Amino acid sequence: MSALLSPIKKRRKPRIGRYVRIISGVFACLVFLFPVFWMVLTSFKMPRDIFTTPPTFIFAPTLETYTSYFFHADVPRRMFNTVIVAFGAGLVSIFAGAMAGYALARIKLRGAATIGVLILLSRGVPPIALAVPMFLVARNLGLLDQHITLILAYCTFLIPYVMWLMRGFFKALPAELEEAALLDGCTRMGAFFRIIVPISMPGLISTLIFSVILAWEELLFALVLTNRNASTIPVAIAGIAGDTVNGANWGALTAVGTLTVIPVVIFALIVQKWLIQGLADGATKG
Amino acid sequence: MGTVEIRNVRKSYGSHAVMHGVSVTIPDGEFVALVGPSGCGKSTLLRMIAGLEDITDGEIAIEGRVVNDVAPKDRDIAMVFQNYALYPHMSVRENMGFALKLRGMPKAQIEERVQVAAQILNLQSLLERKPRALSGGQRQRVAMGRAIVRDPTVFLFDEPLSNLDAKLRVQVRSELKQLHQRLGTTTVYVTHDQIEAMTLADRIVVMNSGQVEQIGPPLDLYDRPANLFVAAFIGSPPMNFIEGQANADGTGLHLANGTSLPLPTGAKAPSGRAVTLGIRPEHLDVAQTGWPATVLVIEPTGSETQINAQLGDIPLRILIRGRTDIRPGDTIHLDAPAKHVHLFDTHTGRRIESQFPGD
Repeated sequence: MSALLSPIKKRRKPRIGRYVRIISGVFACLVFLFPVFWMVLTSFKMPRDIFTTPPTFIFAPTLETYTSYFFHADVPRRMFNTVIVAFGAGLVSIFAGAMAGYALARIKLRGAATIGVLILLSRGVPPIALAVPMFLVARNLGLLDQHITLILAYCTFLIPYVMWLMRGFFKALPAELEEAALLDGCTRMGAFFRIIVPISMPGLISTLIFSVILAWEELLFALVLTNRNASTIPVAIAGIAGDTVNGANWGALTAVGTLTVIPVVIFALIVQKWLIQGLADGATKG
Repeated sequence: MGTVEIRNVRKSYGSHAVMHGVSVTIPDGEFVALVGPSGCGKSTLLRMIAGLEDITDGEIAIEGRVVNDVAPKDRDIAMVFQNYALYPHMSVRENMGFALKLRGMPKAQIEERVQVAAQILNLQSLLERKPRALSGGQRQRVAMGRAIVRDPTVFLFDEPLSNLDAKLRVQVRSELKQLHQRLGTTTVYVTHDQIEAMTLADRIVVMNSGQVEQIGPPLDLYDRPANLFVAAFIGSPPMNFIEGQANADGTGLHLANGTSLPLPTGAKAPSGRAVTLGIRPEHLDVAQTGWPATVLVIEPTGSETQINAQLGDIPLRILIRGRTDIRPGDTIHLDAPAKHVHLFDTHTGRRIESQFPGD
């Protein structure tokens, strides 16, 4: 009898597990997305609707905060600056970090593991400890308030991040692929760019997205190293939030916040086709 | 001339030596198989020929040119990997033409060579496919195609059939042999499967613990193994071994359990020496007289039957043609022609030569 019942039991178990997984997933999404939802919702409210008790979900939507703060907070120029700086830093970091990660993953270097750990440890230095020396160096070199300064500053924390992530990714690739390329006539560099980079696209793109987001939302270096010309969106948001004269303008804060998120979401949607997993399928035994 | 000379090659990882002075000369056009158990150094040796592994000491020369410090791409060799290593983002056509493209060969010529190779390997209908859309056997053929379009001086194969199922392995093995007969390119083939080595190679190099145990044509290794390791490694099912001490006139052995065992008629061991007697399962005959053994298991395969028996406390395997009425528990008598009896020095493991009239 128990032998007859056991298959039914087995079938039921995964079903319950599946429901638990779905419910947990939905719950996690709600927790993470609710602040974003609330931000977008608030950005369309009139100031009087923002602080009603209880909070209202139904109101007459308005674009007033957008129209009044779009130019007031210098959004167009700061958005442009943020795009230049975030993508510049992201691309430079991917280029340098991926090559460094490849070297640490594959090339037999004495002390490679130590080098890797040391570079990772550099991430442990508090950014504020670097910000002041960076400001002094940039001022002495006449590089304050320039895109390139922020790009280089962001590379200090993005390159170790990219290097470490890509090192793991490259290690998981079969070494025979590069060896086949070396025998086919590639140099080590040729094998990297012709074989490894194309098949690592999902890893490279996802790392690029994270790097761009990290640079996009960075505030400290942007605050210290820029003034007006190269100032980024987070600086604008900090300005609104920290308005000590008029108090924080929540409408403006959420409107500029929403505008900040939109380009990143569009970027992620554009590149997501590169994120498909399993690009390396079929390389080796099946 | 695709001659490969391996001269006293050594390999160490730090202080850990894994290869202890290997020397092999492979003449142009020969098919040589490197066989041995896992960790014997056969793949390392192949990778050293390819340039994928540094040589700690010694020399490797291809076509008379020492290649120790020559980059893999400049050695004019092609390698087929165990897991095929096809470029996943390229079609079959691009995979096969990649090396030629890197050489700057005109497109028309690349296409011509790819077509010829595709025809040889029956890949014409698959040229536009990506590796992920191919079966294991097809991927294996593409890997071979990628090697042959280059028309290299030397082919290197690193256990290329080990990921295929048994049936496909036999088929591709035959295709490989035909391919070598057709192209005549010097080939070094690594395998742990001695049947593969026996059926494919002109000569076999048996390796063990980073050393060469014996080099020779497959049947020489089978008929005259140089030592106990080769005797045990070559042949399936493996050779039977009986250890003992030869008696005064060399016609029998004193066994460890205190009993005596007469040698097959005509066989003679050096008197008083500790020897190991080796007889292949197919050379043991079920006879009217001879060693009495108790049958434990009968394993029929249709064309042959393997009998596992016990001679005192010594396990023996006997392989007979066709079928048998013998049953487990029966007592049978075993004999062997003196010319098929192998004798080894138990201490050194080396073959003791010319003890038998027919040897």
